[in-house]
Amino acid sequence: MSAHAATADQHDDHDHYDPGFLKKYVFSTDHKMIGLQYGITAGCFLLFGFFLMMVMRWSIAYPHEPLPEWMRFFFSENWQARWLQDGKVTGDTYNMFGAMHGTIMVFLGVVPLGFGAFGNFVTPLQIGAPDMAFPKLNMMSYWVYLAGGLVMCGSFFMESGAAKSGWTNYSPLAGVADVQIVNQWLAGQTQWLVGLVLLITSSLLGAVNFITTIINLRARGMTWMRLPFFVWAMLVTGFLLLLAFPPLEAAGIMQLMDRTAGSSFFLPSGLYTKAEGLLELSGGGSPLLFQHLFWFLGHPEVYVLLLPAIACVAEIIPANTRKPLWGYKAMVYSVLILGFLSFVVWAHHMYLTGMGPVVSTWFQTTTVLISIPSVVLLTSLIISLWGGSIRFTPAMMWACAFLPMFGIGGLTGLPLAFNLADLHLHDTYYVIGHFHYVVAPGILFGLFAGVYHWFPKISGRYMSSKLSHLHFWPSLICMNLIFFPMLTQGMAGFHRRWYNGGDAYLAKSPDSTNIFSSTVAEHIDLNILMSNAAWLMALAQLPFLINLIVSTFWGRKVESDNPWNATTLEWATPTPPGHGNFTFDVAVYRGPYEYSRPDCDDDYLPQWIAPKRDAGQPDAEPATSEPASH
Amino acid sequence: MEIPYIVTPRKDTGLFNSKIGIWLFLASEVMLFGGFFSAYVFLRIGADYPWPERTLPVLPGLINTFILIASSVTVVFAWASLKMRQWRRFQIFMGITVACAAIFMVFKLIEYNVKFHHQAVRIDDYSVVEGHLGYEAKGGHGHDDHAEPEPLLDAHGDKIEENHHKVKASSLTFDIVRAYNPWVEDFVAEATAAESKITLAADVDFNASGESDEKKKFTKGAELSSDILASISSAYVANRNQNAAWRTDFLTEAWDQKWAEVKANDGLGEGAFAAEFPKGLELGPDERKLAYARWKGGKRSRMASEVDLNKVTIKVDGKQVHYADIELPEKETVTFEIDKPFTLRFPGHDVIGKYIPEATQAVLRDGTVVAGEYEDSPMVFHYVDGIDFQHLVMIAEKKGQDPLVAIENSWLIKENHKVAELWEKHQKAVGQLEEALAAKGREPTEKDRYRMGWQEIAYYMQTNLEDVQIEEGAYAAPKVAMTLKEQFKGPDYATRMADKGKPQFPHISIPREHVMLDSKFKPKWNTYYAIYFTITGLHGLHVVGGAIVLGYYLFFGRKMYLSNPEWLANRVEIGGLFWHFVDLVWIFAFPIFYLM
Repeated sequence: MSAHAATADQHDDHDHYDPGFLKKYVFSTDHKMIGLQYGITAGCFLLFGFFLMMVMRWSIAYPHEPLPEWMRFFFSENWQARWLQDGKVTGDTYNMFGAMHGTIMVFLGVVPLGFGAFGNFVTPLQIGAPDMAFPKLNMMSYWVYLAGGLVMCGSFFMESGAAKSGWTNYSPLAGVADVQIVNQWLAGQTQWLVGLVLLITSSLLGAVNFITTIINLRARGMTWMRLPFFVWAMLVTGFLLLLAFPPLEAAGIMQLMDRTAGSSFFLPSGLYTKAEGLLELSGGGSPLLFQHLFWFLGHPEVYVLLLPAIACVAEIIPANTRKPLWGYKAMVYSVLILGFLSFVVWAHHMYLTGMGPVVSTWFQTTTVLISIPSVVLLTSLIISLWGGSIRFTPAMMWACAFLPMFGIGGLTGLPLAFNLADLHLHDTYYVIGHFHYVVAPGILFGLFAGVYHWFPKISGRYMSSKLSHLHFWPSLICMNLIFFPMLTQGMAGFHRRWYNGGDAYLAKSPDSTNIFSSTVAEHIDLNILMSNAAWLMALAQLPFLINLIVSTFWGRKVESDNPWNATTLEWATPTPPGHGNFTFDVAVYRGPYEYSRPDCDDDYLPQWIAPKRDAGQPDAEPATSEPASH
Repeated sequence: MEIPYIVTPRKDTGLFNSKIGIWLFLASEVMLFGGFFSAYVFLRIGADYPWPERTLPVLPGLINTFILIASSVTVVFAWASLKMRQWRRFQIFMGITVACAAIFMVFKLIEYNVKFHHQAVRIDDYSVVEGHLGYEAKGGHGHDDHAEPEPLLDAHGDKIEENHHKVKASSLTFDIVRAYNPWVEDFVAEATAAESKITLAADVDFNASGESDEKKKFTKGAELSSDILASISSAYVANRNQNAAWRTDFLTEAWDQKWAEVKANDGLGEGAFAAEFPKGLELGPDERKLAYARWKGGKRSRMASEVDLNKVTIKVDGKQVHYADIELPEKETVTFEIDKPFTLRFPGHDVIGKYIPEATQAVLRDGTVVAGEYEDSPMVFHYVDGIDFQHLVMIAEKKGQDPLVAIENSWLIKENHKVAELWEKHQKAVGQLEEALAAKGREPTEKDRYRMGWQEIAYYMQTNLEDVQIEEGAYAAPKVAMTLKEQFKGPDYATRMADKGKPQFPHISIPREHVMLDSKFKPKWNTYYAIYFTITGLHGLHVVGGAIVLGYYLFFGRKMYLSNPEWLANRVEIGGLFWHFVDLVWIFAFPIFYLM
């Protein structure tokens, strides 16, 4: 560590790269800047998606009361008149927000944050590469992503409003939504598809770039089994995006044809709507086909969301327990198997479509199989804590919370894997609770951990620990208050798409003998608890935002390039890393998690430190003295 | 900073970066087209209509197949030439490659163009007619002699296909917010052409009582324009927004009062429960607990039924007012009348709902109501070049009816003596075919039996019933020969209709109420054409994209060749790999669309 204090100063004269403001901050080809662009943009989308959810939660908890001023003031008067009824959230608006909340969180928030931001920033650093293999392509990925996001969200301001058919966009619902709009290119439902095709294109470019980088730009000595787990996870994520997204792109293009060219890919014969009667269509299409193509992406997408988070946690735990990652090899093989299996489980989302018991049984089997590698990953991480001397840095707190939260998310998924249990739970709040446990307190906690962990490398300053606690504890409590009651409600039969939270099903009289409406009445007050927790959750994110801004400019400066005394290559760079990343000719001598080796004085031995030649000497000087050749 | 392994391969992987990149990209392309081809299989297996088999002209597709294969060979030669540093040879081979791509696209576009101009209609008994529509002529339709009368032109100066809902409009009622501007402009243009005027039918005033802003007032007689609709719309929207904002405030106030009232009576507590639901006291403890939970859960819902924004007052401009006192006028539609009614024409897709003869209005997709007299709006085929009963037979068989009886009862046979004649001749031919095939232990296909293509129709039109005779050894219905040009562009109507005594294609006029679905041979017509256009269109885009990249190396590669020929060779290799993939997609697409 001491050996690196000098490199931060060296990097100024390391290369005279001055591309000007626009090329440095906006149209940058530097993977780190692109990573930051991804991170900031995804963060904004996450906040927007969160806001949509807060409005939805009002409608669920207080369906008869006007939206309060503090949520309403974002909307123009015109928008309120069009989409609210006397200030109350309407079913249409709820559907719109629901569809867009899902879409934004998955496609515009979490994936770009995990894969785009962390993947971009950390991967090339960890393998000792100067940049991504195709820097211009990398820049294009970001801009195409941004365009896709803006196209999708722009539709909020159209006459049709944004898409309203769920984030899964099932046909025929999505195929015939907004048909009253004459120019279909100006309909929210169509814009959603255009945005989706752009987002997929961006992901594909990104995936090609990541995989190529990992295969071909590893530093000298960085053999496959010396790759940090993070890189393995990114490699698998890249392959998932590469191979799972195109079928959805095909589905998106076909649905676009249905909407703009009048085709019937997903529209069956004899389709009839209240507004139009028998639709003027050829028919003969297959709604089930859309679901197959959608979930062929949809399920691997879950792992695209998850793997970056688990990857962050897998880096943070060894660094803060000061011991190697337990079962590194098992984790690597598990993540590969997980990636493979994720391609053959998709139809467990479709048990209720009438595919038939044989197909259901097959997918039930594969789904149960995939829990094996998932459990190996989680268990390895938990065992990694065993016997470690844990430092509860902010990052470590989040990483530790990730484990049980993701665990709950995973275990609640098991009943859904079985098609008989799923008959009851399908489309209830149980499902919502399950996957939000995976995504919100699970994945997002993992990514928060990543932010706290790599922030010193990005900015050269630590994040405030106090504010981090103020962020962490309320978030942890609120998360559970939001999502745990959902599991209860779901088992009581609450449907996930009730815009008024079950109000329409309430028993008219307290001595009603209607069992279902009584059940609804008994559980409906949980809505109020969950909604209030959700709004408090928003409040709990303020310390984080303040922390980000304050620490960037005024935070405590790091004392060295390797503030956590970690072993992987990103900590060998100057802080913040300059263009081209490394100031020395990178070579790797050992595995990624060499902590607490008995033959070393320090409790860590970084990958880049050349082995000692002489048994009598302490740590040899690392090969950092000579700058890169140009 | 320089990215390593751009030109030279990395030793342990043996690959340069872009080669890995292109293989990965091609893997994703395989998944993309895999998705489409799976869709093809899914749609074909699940089709509930007769899937069109071998319906595309094979010759152009076959030629295109060989062209693409040839270009895949030349692109390899081009790459090899670069490797051997022979720039001239590279230019020649790459030139051939790009030229092949261009020829491919030309054939493709000819094929598309024929489809885009070929009309089909599904009649309400599921019989199908294909052919070419006529254009409306000045002085009405219904001329059987195929003379070329002077065509009627619309306000844009375009000819009008005889396939429109026609309404002699006397008034137009617009949805103020949704009215589609290009249509409004069309109405104005048509009115000008018809020397008619579209004017506001009644005064529209968006002023609050006591106000008189001229901008919010529209007097009867004002002429229709997109500007006046925009002004009406903005006046209406302003009122709507203000009303909504007020209503929100009133409702908020009403809820506040309601809550205060409820809280004064023990809120959601047990006391309030007992007061509101005395029966609860008689229940046992468990029952009572449940009843309380139900009462509490439903409380807000019951409160909502008592909350009414009209019952409360709030302070606006320092005065306590009721909502009804300050509500601004709203009006969602506005009606314009037409002084001299004239005919407006709408394609079927723009009109919502089923056509009913003698209806008095048409509702358009944007909510516009066109009131007036529905005119006779038939679909007129000047040349019918396909009659297909396969779908009708499929439906009849599902219902357990005799297919031949169902055909005899179809509108086409009953109401069109010409078609009935053709069908009789076809029946004779099918009989002969049946005999010929029976000798070989086979029988005619559904398509043989129930479909008359253009070659058969042309044959029957020229042949008397007693002369109908299938060709020895052809094992198909009798047909006229196809010229080479017709292989590419479809039937040559000009020549085939020239013989006035024996025109080769019949003329049919289909009343609008019998039209179930009409379309050109576009994605709308059925899922076969939908997937055909999607896959071949996407493939075409790949051809164009690949040709642009290869063309770039050809025309702008010289500089790179001189400075770093190996790098250029790498790039050409990458482009070539992509090009082979494009070829491969076509090799799958050709048989499934053209041959199967």
